[in-house]
Amino acid sequence: MSDSLTRAEPVSSEPFAAQGVTITLAPPMARLSLRARDRATLEDLLGRKLPAKIGATAGEIACLGPDEWLLRSAQGAAIPLGEGLPLAVTEISERAVCLIVEGPRAAEVLMAGCPLDLELFASGRATRTIFETVEIILIRSGENRFEVEVWRSFAPWLQLALTTAAAQLR
Amino acid sequence: MLLIHCPYCDEQRAELEFAYAGEAHIARPDDPAAMSDEDWQYYLFVRANPRGRHHERWRHTHGCGRFFNAVRDTLSDKFEVTYKAGEPRR
Repeated sequence: MSDSLTRAEPVSSEPFAAQGVTITLAPPMARLSLRARDRATLEDLLGRKLPAKIGATAGEIACLGPDEWLLRSAQGAAIPLGEGLPLAVTEISERAVCLIVEGPRAAEVLMAGCPLDLELFASGRATRTIFETVEIILIRSGENRFEVEVWRSFAPWLQLALTTAAAQLR
Repeated sequence: MLLIHCPYCDEQRAELEFAYAGEAHIARPDDPAAMSDEDWQYYLFVRANPRGRHHERWRHTHGCGRFFNAVRDTLSDKFEVTYKAGEPRR
């Protein structure tokens, strides 16, 4: 039933291009919040290694806190939920949307509102942080490519803020 | 910008990402029913409020989400040290 409904994105999926940077809405994906005190139980359940250090990523999985990981994968991927085990795997696919900021000046655009020093934020790192007053999860998936996960209701504002910052680059 | 070292992330991060959470090392009494009203109100409401070195709790809200303890100078606003929750008072 729900498959036949039209999907409504909170922001325009039209890509925005400015001097040295493009901002696009990522296609829908599956997101899961993984929580466990003991990393090994999660690794056994998923059958793959989890990054141990906060801020590190391993493939689709990012470590956000001492007992918290975010798994982002293609829609429809079968992920075991681990009922009965001392862990929590929670489906949060529709909680956030992802804006991709890409280009040689992408870091400059993000630093307009993000307090992190992105020159020290190496490719392959991910962290929860803040953009102005909006909480984001920032993932550097390439030297010039950042993925910004933001809650749906904040997305229109964030897209406006990022495109405004990008349009004002000189 | 004030930078705070998060002992869990092991990184200096901007104060914007953190939230203050009151004085640290205040243990909840084991048996509140056995306490006098005066002791209970002391536990609930009375805080040290020192001028100078202050032990306080902070939370890395927009980061790893963890509570930790910090020693901050209330005069200079300088963070002397931060350490994980549960570790002894420094």
